[in-house]
Amino acid sequence: MEDFTTNTPQSSEPLPGQTPRPPAGQSLGIAALITAIVTFVLSVIPCVGIIAIVPGIIAVVLASIGLSQASRNDSPRGVLVAGLIIGVVATVIAFSQIFVAGKIGDKFEKNWGGEIENVIRDVQKNVIDELEDANVSIKIENGDEKVEINVGEGKADREKELEELEEDNTGINDTLNKKE
Amino acid sequence: MTPSIKRSNYLSPFRAGFRNEPYLIINIILTGVVILVFAYSGFFSPVKDNYPVVCIHEKLTGEPCVSCGLSHSFSLILRGRISEAYDWNVYGLRVFIFFAGQLFMRIVFSVFYIKYPRSGKYLIVYDSVVSAMFFIVSFLPFIEWIFKRFLL
Repeated sequence: MEDFTTNTPQSSEPLPGQTPRPPAGQSLGIAALITAIVTFVLSVIPCVGIIAIVPGIIAVVLASIGLSQASRNDSPRGVLVAGLIIGVVATVIAFSQIFVAGKIGDKFEKNWGGEIENVIRDVQKNVIDELEDANVSIKIENGDEKVEINVGEGKADREKELEELEEDNTGINDTLNKKE
Repeated sequence: MTPSIKRSNYLSPFRAGFRNEPYLIINIILTGVVILVFAYSGFFSPVKDNYPVVCIHEKLTGEPCVSCGLSHSFSLILRGRISEAYDWNVYGLRVFIFFAGQLFMRIVFSVFYIKYPRSGKYLIVYDSVVSAMFFIVSFLPFIEWIFKRFLL
């Protein structure tokens, strides 16, 4: 039987006229490094940086695959290691932007929630103040019969009435302490 | 022999050369990325205000973040309206200079690398250090902003 393996080159040296093959994992290394650099620039821009998580992970994966290929073939790993380091740092910065966004959201929610509470308190106070001075009148009509109920006088009127009653009883006005 | 095969044979030494020079490939692709950034800034108009990226911070809080107006600023710088660009984003010009500088550096360093192949390693180290420092100086306000928000 003819041995076909004898015709195939055993070394990595290229034949005359043949273009030399790049070391194993080099193409992946270049792709990883470029993706990592672009990710790094993107990750430090506030708000936009969150998007950088995806290319960051891609860069790390590409560099890892390239490194495993290079270690099997004992190829140079400079580009791959650079791509991996820059990719990891860029991904970490991009992830930190999620926390930054979360903190901004929390702060915003707290401020906004506090403002809503203040508004509700103001409205409650206004309603109570108005009701204290309000005169409520209920009229019920049933054919010819009419019933009218007047409830509550104003706060000022009630205080005045109370003062008058106390003056009538004691003759001295010493029970009501008005806040100035 | 067809002309296409002739051309591929003619270009093959260059292709082989580039394949074994990752530095040159990286420089070419990064040049393309920077040109794309400028093309983005040139394509979208500050008058029409049709930028696709919206600031989440401004949407949530109503207050602009440190990078708000960067696209506007870039577009205005490309159109030569630098004072208006400064009004849109104070750091816009600084970041724009970084990208323009990178475009220049990629071209110059690639030419230098081809002309003086012996200085390859030193050139790559020099390029990495200078680019890293240039990056830190240009993006420092953004980095500060992120870390202040992260720590507080």
